[in-house]
Amino acid sequence: MPDFLTALNPGWLLILAGIVAIFLPMRRLRQGITIAAPLIGIAMLALADQNVNHLTASVMGLDMILYRVDGLSFVFGIAFLLAALLNAIYAWHTDNRLQDGMALAYAGAAIAAAFSGDLMTLFIFWEITAVTSVFMVLAAGTRASYFASMRYLGIQVLSGVLLLAGAAYVYNNTGSLSMKAFVSLSEPGALLIFIALGIKAAFPFMHNWLQDSYPKASVVGAVVLSAFTTKLAVYAFIRLFPGQDALIWIGAVMTVFPVFFAVIENDLRKVLAYSLNNQVGFMICAIGLGTAGVGNALALNGATAHAFVHIIYKGLLFMSMGAVLYRTGTTKASELGGLYRSMPWTALFCIIGAMSISAFPLFSGFVAKSLTMSAVSHEGLTIVWLMLLFASAGVMEHSGIKIPYFSFFGHDSGLRVKEAPFNMLLAMGMGAFICIAVGIPALIPGLGYEWLYNLLPYREEAMNYQPFTFDHILTQLQLLVLATFAFVLLKRFGVYPPEKPGTILDTDWLYRKIGFGMAQWAGTVWGKVGPAMTAVFFGLTGQAYDRIEAAFSPRGELARGGLTGAMAVWTAALLGLVLLLAFITVG
Amino acid sequence: MSNDTPETRDTTGRFLKRAAEKAHDLHTVSDEGVHPMAKILFGWTEAKHIGAIMFWGLGLLGAFLIVLDLFVNRHDYFTFANSTGFYGLYGFAAFTFVVLMGWPLGNLLRRGENYYGDAGGPPADVDPDRPQGPADVHPTYEGDE
Repeated sequence: MPDFLTALNPGWLLILAGIVAIFLPMRRLRQGITIAAPLIGIAMLALADQNVNHLTASVMGLDMILYRVDGLSFVFGIAFLLAALLNAIYAWHTDNRLQDGMALAYAGAAIAAAFSGDLMTLFIFWEITAVTSVFMVLAAGTRASYFASMRYLGIQVLSGVLLLAGAAYVYNNTGSLSMKAFVSLSEPGALLIFIALGIKAAFPFMHNWLQDSYPKASVVGAVVLSAFTTKLAVYAFIRLFPGQDALIWIGAVMTVFPVFFAVIENDLRKVLAYSLNNQVGFMICAIGLGTAGVGNALALNGATAHAFVHIIYKGLLFMSMGAVLYRTGTTKASELGGLYRSMPWTALFCIIGAMSISAFPLFSGFVAKSLTMSAVSHEGLTIVWLMLLFASAGVMEHSGIKIPYFSFFGHDSGLRVKEAPFNMLLAMGMGAFICIAVGIPALIPGLGYEWLYNLLPYREEAMNYQPFTFDHILTQLQLLVLATFAFVLLKRFGVYPPEKPGTILDTDWLYRKIGFGMAQWAGTVWGKVGPAMTAVFFGLTGQAYDRIEAAFSPRGELARGGLTGAMAVWTAALLGLVLLLAFITVG
Repeated sequence: MSNDTPETRDTTGRFLKRAAEKAHDLHTVSDEGVHPMAKILFGWTEAKHIGAIMFWGLGLLGAFLIVLDLFVNRHDYFTFANSTGFYGLYGFAAFTFVVLMGWPLGNLLRRGENYYGDAGGPPADVDPDRPQGPADVHPTYEGDE
């Protein structure tokens, strides 16, 4: 490969192609570019040497590593590129220059960030993902989506600002911006970066930007959004905070609490957003485990493998709900049901995604989640392990059963629509293929789950791990079959809560009601206090002016008759003072 | 498609034509709006007593998996997880707990759909030919006074 091509970060290629696409009115040509760019990116990445700095630059004394590939970033790069490819196919039926271009640039920014070798480059692409991704929400064109996008942008930029502040602090202390793992959070720079990453990974209490914006995005936009931002944060956590104890508990809490929200949520795209939270929790928990030895390799492999398969199956689930939204105009569970009659292929692909995320054996979630669960039990963390197992049953509830059941089966809504457009089915079919292809045993060595394990950063440890043991399969089937049986039982006895339309309160209530209310109150108060303060100010300055005028103006006190005398006395006094000062200082 | 192929045509041609017709039928939606693949893939969900079949089928399968556990010497890291049927019972309990918590949590946290202002309908890129619901006459939007 020529030198300039080996030095080109595939992410940059996508960003450049995205910028071109924004200005390209020829629809099919533009869409051809959005499909070709990820394909070329995959080829470039496959040919790139690993653990070499392909492109460095020195800007204002900062040594920046703009393109570096290693075992970890390679997996995320491939997953992001595959997601970009599927998204482009999924968007084939649309004609929206801004959305096409921004989606590609957003993917490119996430890829470029994953291949950056220092904190400053990471920050730059971190911010580009924020700015490009907001167009996915804006593309929906509703006023609610506009307000959501502004909240989204604010929070994403806040994350970037914290990252920059942390990087500046680290640079000041150590003189280096390299992407080394931080040892402790007691250093303020590390803590700032930790919070910045935590916002993007949607940590508990920082998570609501996700459930607020993703369900309000356009049909295509939500699919695009689901792949990149949170997984980029997961990548950065693996890079910067492996083995950070706090992550174990944060991750465990993250897996559990969204489960309860997902049960009562009516909007199925919002259910998927909560499910995304829960899945990222598994990865975060695994990253916290990576301390040393076998546990480290198992856990970090688990987080990486989980991120890869999650990008594909969560994309697939968002695609299937997008197809439903496209044809019916809604994803509210209370208005859907029985759609398998009109959209059987979409239903089939949705079920494959649902079985993957629930980690059924022979589907991709199983081979990834087994690594994490084994690592947790290996470390002997009983409560965390029980929490993750609880969350696994929860995933079965909201993503495994609720999503397909309430949209495609259950009570027949009477909606008779067309099957999804062919390009959507093709993208879903490709996603479903990957879900099964990496989930099956390696019938041919190197394929099946071994293909995925071969990519993982700790390759040897991964290849020594056996996901398809009788124990694993039996225990996982027990969990899932009896959870499904619980569903059928609860349905049969009529104690399953009915799907009701409504808004579920979450932590965003704090800023959308309390915060907004306080801002309104502050506005009202200012509206009254402001003029009052202005009046006081003008009153005081007016009085002062009047006094000054009374003394110094041509009609004032000092201009009156006794001026000459008074002036002579004042001048003589001042002269005396100056002479006295001069005498003292010189003497 | 009518079958007006002359009888003189050779059999391979007829075979291809039949295959094409078959393929055509497989993506032609019936008058009731039902996709032909729906019958093939999910026709079984309309079987009589499907609820009872699923209930007893899953119950028996679950029981079988637990009984199977009796004959397997599993080696989990946690001793309690090695007890027979632990995963099944835990999964059942966790699922039931989550679903039943939906009742109190729903009462506690569910507000009206327009709590934060009207959501403003579906996004702009939905199918223009989708079935239309009754139009919202006076929508109020989030952020409006």
